[in-house]
Amino acid sequence: MSAELRTAAGPSAEAPVPEEGRFRSMASMYLTLFKTSIVVGFQYRVANLLYMIGMIAEPVIYLVVWSTIARSQGGSVGGFTPGEFAAYYIVWTLVRQFNIVFTPYGWEWRIREGQLSGQLLKPVHPIHYDIADIAGWKFVVIVLWLPIAAVLTLIFHPTLNPTVLQVAVFAVAIWGAYLIRTMNLWLLGMVTFWTTRVAALFELYFVMELLLSGRLVPLSLMPHWVQVLACFLPFKWTFGFPIEALVADLPAGELLGGLAMQALWIAIGAGLVWIMWRRAVRRYTAVNN
Amino acid sequence: MNAAGPRAVRAKRVEPIRAARLSWLFFRLGVMNEMQYRVNFFIQLLQSLLALGTGLAVLALVFSHTKTLKGWTPNELLAVMGVHLLMGGLIRTTIQPNMTRLIEDVRQGTLDYALTKPEDSQLMVSVRDIRIWQGVDIVVGAAVLGVAIARIQAGVGVWDALGFAVALLLGGVMIYCFWMILTIGAFWVIRMDQIVELFEGVYQAGRWPVTVYPLWLRTALTFLVPIAFAVTVPAEGVTSRLNGGTLLAAFGLAVALFAVTRWFWQFGLRRYSGASA
Amino acid sequence: MLPESVIHVDGLRKTFVVPEREAGLRAAIRALFRRKTRPVRAVDGISFDISPGEVVGFLGPNGAGKTTTLKMLSGLLFPTEGDVRVLGHVPSRREKAFLRRITLVMGNRNQLQWDIPAVDSFELNRAIYRIPRRDFEEIRDEVVELLEVQDLLHKPVRNLSLGERMKMEIVGALLHRPQVLFLDEPTIGLDVTMQKRIRSFIGTYNRRHGATVLLTSHYMADVLALCKRVIVIHHGRILFDGALAALSSQFAAYKTIGVTLQDGQADLSAYGEVLRRDGETFTIRVAKADASGVTARLLAEHQVIDLTIEDPPIEDVIELVFAQEATDGDGEPIGEPTA
Repeated sequence: MSAELRTAAGPSAEAPVPEEGRFRSMASMYLTLFKTSIVVGFQYRVANLLYMIGMIAEPVIYLVVWSTIARSQGGSVGGFTPGEFAAYYIVWTLVRQFNIVFTPYGWEWRIREGQLSGQLLKPVHPIHYDIADIAGWKFVVIVLWLPIAAVLTLIFHPTLNPTVLQVAVFAVAIWGAYLIRTMNLWLLGMVTFWTTRVAALFELYFVMELLLSGRLVPLSLMPHWVQVLACFLPFKWTFGFPIEALVADLPAGELLGGLAMQALWIAIGAGLVWIMWRRAVRRYTAVNN
Repeated sequence: MNAAGPRAVRAKRVEPIRAARLSWLFFRLGVMNEMQYRVNFFIQLLQSLLALGTGLAVLALVFSHTKTLKGWTPNELLAVMGVHLLMGGLIRTTIQPNMTRLIEDVRQGTLDYALTKPEDSQLMVSVRDIRIWQGVDIVVGAAVLGVAIARIQAGVGVWDALGFAVALLLGGVMIYCFWMILTIGAFWVIRMDQIVELFEGVYQAGRWPVTVYPLWLRTALTFLVPIAFAVTVPAEGVTSRLNGGTLLAAFGLAVALFAVTRWFWQFGLRRYSGASA
Repeated sequence: MLPESVIHVDGLRKTFVVPEREAGLRAAIRALFRRKTRPVRAVDGISFDISPGEVVGFLGPNGAGKTTTLKMLSGLLFPTEGDVRVLGHVPSRREKAFLRRITLVMGNRNQLQWDIPAVDSFELNRAIYRIPRRDFEEIRDEVVELLEVQDLLHKPVRNLSLGERMKMEIVGALLHRPQVLFLDEPTIGLDVTMQKRIRSFIGTYNRRHGATVLLTSHYMADVLALCKRVIVIHHGRILFDGALAALSSQFAAYKTIGVTLQDGQADLSAYGEVLRRDGETFTIRVAKADASGVTARLLAEHQVIDLTIEDPPIEDVIELVFAQEATDGDGEPIGEPTA
């Protein structure tokens, strides 16, 4: 344990408390937030479970429609058989949960309710709080997801035979997706510091994401120009890539390349957040009253 | 609360003309009230157009891979989408606001205000609220439906149009009953926050004609949540698929459901008054 | 800047730009194209220095500029003009070293997590402020004992009463042993017993650790109990900065005479302004210079059972100060913008 003893910059009646090392404290903070978030998540397990069940309507509809098309086309469409569609959309339900981060609409509430002031008084960047707190909730989600996945598997008979590498990459990729989306939606939410007329921007973003991420349909079913476009945008790496890592039998090169792309998008997002956050705080401290 | 007890609350005769006038009054009030929130209109319009765009993209995508879907042609599926949007708009304008308000009333204990008015209580809680800006979906849906009808080769005859209108009405009634029964459940299970989201999720299934779905799902969407009657059956009317049998069944089911709903409402009221006394 | 100042404020100004809303359809249409705004001076040139270990009270009505000043001192707002230094740092730069040495406690604002026991929120603060475990436990146990909340540590915060929650907020705010405490209405909404406990805690804490305390409050009792020095602020300007005792002598040039007479029907309006009458006891306000003269006449002309001469209560003096300011105002609109 490295305790740095700092001398006070100004006069004081007694020596200030020594400080713990930065990494150690950050790790402590994350662990504490994980723990409390998991505890609260299980406290509200019934509400969480109902919430998750409500979300399966969307993929089930997609699944059924595309399976029907596949059968009418002689067994497969776009390289997917009904069993493979089932696999895609069942894994979809977990990835969808991992995509849920702090909503950009929530920033208006945060600013108005004064919660932001409390966070600005702490010597830690508020994004750590969001990342750690919501990540803890994801652990609860995994546990609650298992029975849902079991039921869906019994009904829809997915075909799924992943290798160990694919499972490992999937396990990493869902967290990569989570981080990319955290950064992007933080950026989106920060627009609220400059204007409250944000609904149009947010809605446009979400529609683009819906179409270009692999959430609506596997990207291989989209026309070619859409697939090319999707490679240059972050959306694919938050949704389609994690799912395909597990179900689409990708070669090792593509799997690891995909992780690299996720890392790239996380870096880009984090960089932009770092730049914009200063401006946002500057703006907030100028006009907040 | 009424000292004479729940009986006095229940036994008001409902005259159809009175009911219609009351509904019209609330409609006008609601519209005037909502006029203030102009910005809602633009946001709603944007959302509707985006939803429309997405829907069209999906249709295009589906038909890039296949010619027909279980016998439905692209234009016919466009008609289904139109009915889906239209019905969705109707639900979100008239039914959902009243139901969510009713749930809130039960939760806060403010239902008494509605019950002590000299009008039929079920009518009151069903028509007092309106979200006019969701009506954008009604317009957009009607427009899509119009385009689809224009493009359908076989054309739409008078009987088809009539069948469509009747089916739409019956479907609407059934959705209302479904929502009402669910909401009355709030008298017993106060926490019903997720209901709107759950319904919206399931309603998405109406985007496609239920004949596309496997049997078990089709059954659920017919008898559990009457989406089939709300969207598919009217769409069948427009696309000349409707047979008299289905329409008759719809009529019978709607009447039965309405009776059940009414009885359930009285039952729930007795329970509610008993609880608050 | 005085070398011993913990807080140094010089010529501080904060001006907000507030949209002007007019009534009527035409104005609403115009507003779509061009928004009219007007400047509002929430803080209009204030200066003061606070030495280490002082407990200073900030008094003023709503909209006076107290909260705005506090926010500027803690870095939540940056000034339009003027110089602010706290512990040698410029607050608006929000340096981590600065944030670790101050704390801001706002009454009726929750910074603890709702669903979990307070002790877990404290763990979080420990990690955020990078307090080594042993120091942390020592500090926490000390404050918990002073506030007598040992039994409440493991209850979820939502199950605590308002007063208990406020105590927990204070514990959480002091875990990092800040050298400067900003307390914004800390006793608001609490019952009298709880207010007294928190006041006594603040006093004890200040004596034990020498922390500097800047306290804003509506309640005179808070200020009377804790602060030797008060800064009275109104319309963004400082009206008085000095010892509490000096406040009345500077602003109130009158005294209050309480006299109990044998004859309850007497009319004493000739002696001065009769403020109250309870049965046979009258309260009269007289100019300071006339006090002894009036007393002599009363004793001579009536059967006096009891007589007291007092300085006016602080609350009345403060009210007078504000009333004076209100009529003195020039044309410029000043004060904090209200939502």
